[in-house]
Amino acid sequence: MEKMKMMLVDDEERYLSTTQKLLSKKGYDALTAGSGTEALEKLKTQNIHVVILDVKMPGMDGIETLREIKKHFPLVEVIMLTGHATVESAVDGLKAGATDYLMKPADIDDIVNKAEEAFAKRQRLEEKIRMAQSRTYMKSPREILKESGGSEA
Amino acid sequence: MEKNNHYASMKKLILASMILLPLIPFTLTLMIGYSHFTSSIESTTVDSMKRIIGDHRHMIESFLEERKANLEFVLHSYTFEELSQPENLHDIFIRLQKESNAFVDIGVFNEEGVHVAYEGPYKLTGKIYKETDWFIEVMKKDHYVSNIYLGFRQIPHFIIAVVREAEGRKWVIRATIDSYLFNTMVKKVLIGKTGEAYLLNTEGIFQTDRRSGGNFLDTDPDYKKYPAFSLSPEAADIETFIISDIKGDKYLYATTWLKNKKWLLVVRQEKADAFHELRIASYLIIIICLIGGGVIVATAFYLTEKIVSRISQTDTEKGQLQEQLIRAHRLAELGEMAAGFAHEINNPLQIIKSEQSLIEMNLTEMKEKAVLPPSESTEEIADSMKQIKLQIDRCSAITQAILKFGRQSKPVIQDVDLRNFIPEVLNMVAKKASVHGIDVEQKIAQNTPQIHGDPGQLQQVLLNLYNNAIDAVVERHGSQGGKLMIKTGRTDNGKVGIAVTDNGAGISAENQKKIFSPFFTTKPVGKGTGLGLSVCYGIIDSMGGTMTVSSEKGVGTTFTIYLPIA
Repeated sequence: MEKMKMMLVDDEERYLSTTQKLLSKKGYDALTAGSGTEALEKLKTQNIHVVILDVKMPGMDGIETLREIKKHFPLVEVIMLTGHATVESAVDGLKAGATDYLMKPADIDDIVNKAEEAFAKRQRLEEKIRMAQSRTYMKSPREILKESGGSEA
Repeated sequence: MEKNNHYASMKKLILASMILLPLIPFTLTLMIGYSHFTSSIESTTVDSMKRIIGDHRHMIESFLEERKANLEFVLHSYTFEELSQPENLHDIFIRLQKESNAFVDIGVFNEEGVHVAYEGPYKLTGKIYKETDWFIEVMKKDHYVSNIYLGFRQIPHFIIAVVREAEGRKWVIRATIDSYLFNTMVKKVLIGKTGEAYLLNTEGIFQTDRRSGGNFLDTDPDYKKYPAFSLSPEAADIETFIISDIKGDKYLYATTWLKNKKWLLVVRQEKADAFHELRIASYLIIIICLIGGGVIVATAFYLTEKIVSRISQTDTEKGQLQEQLIRAHRLAELGEMAAGFAHEINNPLQIIKSEQSLIEMNLTEMKEKAVLPPSESTEEIADSMKQIKLQIDRCSAITQAILKFGRQSKPVIQDVDLRNFIPEVLNMVAKKASVHGIDVEQKIAQNTPQIHGDPGQLQQVLLNLYNNAIDAVVERHGSQGGKLMIKTGRTDNGKVGIAVTDNGAGISAENQKKIFSPFFTTKPVGKGTGLGLSVCYGIIDSMGGTMTVSSEKGVGTTFTIYLPIA
């Protein structure tokens, strides 16, 4: 089974490094990014399953970064980390495609739990995709021709 | 203090104008009316006095004229010789007495003043009067009326003498007039209770006695004050004036000289009596003044009190409204600031928390790997770690509360029927209340109207109030004897009232003022953020309502929420 790969996105350098250490001690592989732009760059080159994204960041903020991620990497699960303990910012995030949200200050165990959940969801999704694709392969070549012809028409 | 002065001076101003404005025309009317009435009554009284004295003078003069005419008739009807016969004189006297019983005696004198004949009660025949004043006078003037005097008879009387000249000689007849009868006639004037009439001679001596004191032949103590004595006798016909007599009583006088200019007829009446009607009118005016003035003053006081209290009430309401507005504004600002502040605190908190986790994890590892042998120090570190974690959680609880307070979420507004809603919310604390032995009572009026609001927010407010009430009750009563009452209904000014009353410890007046301020709490450190009630206040305010508190230390507290009807 594939191992979960996380990425932490926050503008607080120290938080990133400490959390990374914590996660690795717990046996998780975690990347870090100090800004939304950096996160998007890293997503292009690495296969990352779960992103833990701070809502409030200088430059490109959390919600904006989330939209970009969902646009280019729709399968990536995103967990919002909000300093605002209000439902609104969480709702905004969920509406924009986030899987879940966490409130600051979040416990490391909570982060791990939510990340695992998100990863499991992602795996279920990938499973479905694989199933769907394999069903497509099992169709007759005529059907496939017909489908592609129909869509072209 | 300054405000009180302001009201006091406003009160004075209103009071002064409300009393003075109606009082001026009121008094003016009364005064003008009174002065006209007075002058009219005075002139009427004086006129009637003049008429009376005129009539009276006429009567007295007629009497004197008639007596003189009687004597002249006798004088011309008989010769000196005839008159000198006592028998004849007797007959004549009897006839005269038939004419007027005022004749006391009659005497006949020759040119030398010898009393030739006499008819009367005295023996005067033969006496010589040549040197007496009256005889000298009568010889000069043809007739004479004496002052009233006692003479050697020691009885008041006066004489009338007339002269006849014929055949080269003069003779005189003289009659004595009964002063008693004359006196009665002069006195016979009746005006009011104190009206009286009397005669004075030119020296101010009473020629008739005066009813109110003043004996015949005494000097009138006041006569020098009469204008008739200072002016020349020819000057005026009838004089009227008001002077006080020697006793200090004021009199209205009318005086006139008789035709002979020897006697002054005086008619006088006590002023109070003469102007009796005037006095009644003055009493009436005084009574009207007092009652009217009293009514004006009372009305002024009543209305002023009303106006000023209304103004002060309006001012207070205005002040309260302004205070509420300021408070709401301040709360909103504070909320925003607090939210920003809490948000900023959360970031470092997150880092601290991570660091703490890392330390803890490392510590555990070191223990497991036996790098760090268990000792008292490691125990202490572990304890400190636990404490740090606890305090971080406490901080985060505070920031969460602040964020909740400062949030500007859009509430989900809907119609709420309090008749169902209140019991539902109350059920949530029913268990807690019963644990603490609190008797919960609901008084939900069936006419409680629906309101507009976010049920979640309203629930938050109510739960907050209930929890506060329960805390206060427990503080005072422990787990027995507590009471919590929830009352709803339509208020008189068209709002919905929700009152939460407890019989808990109560809130001091000082604290009542600050109770809705954020971060104000009376609970021990760590037990309350002091945001609960200010959040409630903000919620109720955003629903267009108000929230008030009334409390008495050691009796209980009532929080009342007023919300607009849906």
